[in-house]
Amino acid sequence: MVLWAALAGLLASGCAGNETPSPEKEQAVLNVVVTTGMLADAVRQIGGERVQVHALMGPGVDPHSYTASQGDIARLRRADLIVYNGLHLEGKMQEVLQNMAQTKPVLSFGEGLDPNRLRKVSSASDALDPHIWFDAALWESGVQALALRMSKQFPQHREPFLAGAARYGETLLALDQELRDVYAAIPQENRVLVTSHDAFEYFGAAYGFEVMGLQGVSTVAEFGLRDMTDMVNLLSERKIPAVFVESSVPHRSLQSVVEGCRQKGHPLVIGGELFSDAMGPEGSPEGTYVGMLRHNAALIAAALGTGGVAGGQSRIDAAAQDQTPATPQRQTP
Amino acid sequence: MNTEFLDAFWIMLTGSLVAVTGALLGCYLLLRRLSLIGDAISHAVLPGIAVAFLMTGSLSSVPALLGAAVVGLLCTWAIETVQHRAGVQGDAAMGIVFTFLFAVGVILVSSLAGNADLDQECVLYGELAFVIFDQTVLGMPVSTAILLANLLLVVAVLTFGYRGFFLTTFDPAFARALGFSTVAWHYVLMSLVSLSSVVSFESVGAILVVAFLVGPAAIAHLLTDRLPMMLLLAALIGISASVGGYFLAAALNANIAGAMTVVLGVEFLGVMNVQFMRKRWRVTPSVASPT
Repeated sequence: MVLWAALAGLLASGCAGNETPSPEKEQAVLNVVVTTGMLADAVRQIGGERVQVHALMGPGVDPHSYTASQGDIARLRRADLIVYNGLHLEGKMQEVLQNMAQTKPVLSFGEGLDPNRLRKVSSASDALDPHIWFDAALWESGVQALALRMSKQFPQHREPFLAGAARYGETLLALDQELRDVYAAIPQENRVLVTSHDAFEYFGAAYGFEVMGLQGVSTVAEFGLRDMTDMVNLLSERKIPAVFVESSVPHRSLQSVVEGCRQKGHPLVIGGELFSDAMGPEGSPEGTYVGMLRHNAALIAAALGTGGVAGGQSRIDAAAQDQTPATPQRQTP
Repeated sequence: MNTEFLDAFWIMLTGSLVAVTGALLGCYLLLRRLSLIGDAISHAVLPGIAVAFLMTGSLSSVPALLGAAVVGLLCTWAIETVQHRAGVQGDAAMGIVFTFLFAVGVILVSSLAGNADLDQECVLYGELAFVIFDQTVLGMPVSTAILLANLLLVVAVLTFGYRGFFLTTFDPAFARALGFSTVAWHYVLMSLVSLSSVVSFESVGAILVVAFLVGPAAIAHLLTDRLPMMLLLAALIGISASVGGYFLAAALNANIAGAMTVVLGVEFLGVMNVQFMRKRWRVTPSVASPT
């Protein structure tokens, strides 16, 4: 304890605090700390010039593998508002954020959604699937709810917040329609999305896709051998032209499915890399929520769109050219 | 006092509590060749977390902590039993037990947990940087208070049982002749290790616990062969790594637990090389002098 007292003295002289409470805080730009890039985008659109947004999980950072840096402490301390996805996307950090709600406004995006539109992760549990951003219409309703709750916390910004949300809402609903059109053009029997983990349940429900993940939501769950055989048989029988990888999840098991199908004479391709839990680099088209969903739509439509593999190849190549994070791995029969 | 200073203080104190707990237990583990037990426990707790989730349907950390504590104890006891009955070395016994338990956990998660995001990382492991956002009890963050209570328990048991731990660690045959049950003392020690590890995982994450169970004891062992001195040095080394690690993290804007672990590693390298040089320096003149 003596040691600590001595250290305390050292430290106090060392780092002078910049924590002086400002009286003009009401007028100043709000410091908002959010967890994911999708939320950063939403809060920027709602708040415009009145907010300065920092996302703890930067581009390409999987929420599962986020580790806090020393600077994140000060960012969370200084924040006037914290927004997180909730529904356990942030894992144990959610409990930390809920604790912080005692000292400052902390909003869970997921809590603002209509509970009837949320999906459970398994029948055995009340835990909910956190990947809500893949349904653009659902996300839009969350943005409106978030704007309302932000206005309650900061009544002085009510008008601009609601106006920002209304404007962004139009964009999101237009995006939703655009996605519907793109996906509707894919032949019914091809609307099967096979990816490496189960992040796309909301997507499937919203846009009429059957979704199959090789791996559960968790990164620990291993892919069973029988799952593999079942998957190969199913893909070959239904002649599904492509499967997809995700930036944050190992590709190995998907690669073996491709091999298995090729041995059965079904020329399966990997349709490309979808964005799942994080957006693309800042400044790129995929670095925004809208761009991210469009990117996924272009890839999916290109790979599944034609109903046959022969014509599909050139389209995949076309899609590959505007693809930022990775090159699609194509298996030529 | 300003917030920034208090935050730094609580983080360094919390790190130091984990460090001292790990250092004291680590000395005994090192001498019993069970240093990596922390890593083994960090994997072995998965089935406990999975069962807790299946029973409660909740992803919050309280049931996970209970499940982990039960399986943690089971793991350390099983290691002792395997070591004893099969007559295999400590490291092999650890390897057998923790891979088995981890695999059971993987099977439970993949076959029963549906799409739930269930693993130690998401449900159990805490983040040292965020202990300051805990609720407070007796003026300190809850995690810090729990770790302090745990450390006091460890110090009390190690103090009162000093003779038993000492004898059963260094000379089991002699201890048995004096009427000490080596198995019973081993179970007590391993239960302490298991409890401390799981509690620390929940507050500060796994890497720091594993590092502090191994590092300080290993460094102290390079400096002395006497157990009381080794315990004291290990504790001081653990504290220095916590404090040094915090400042390194602040300078680099890095992960704090990671930085503490790096400082510990650097300390080990430094001491190892100094001791190596000293030995060479000492040997050379003694060889030269008779001629």
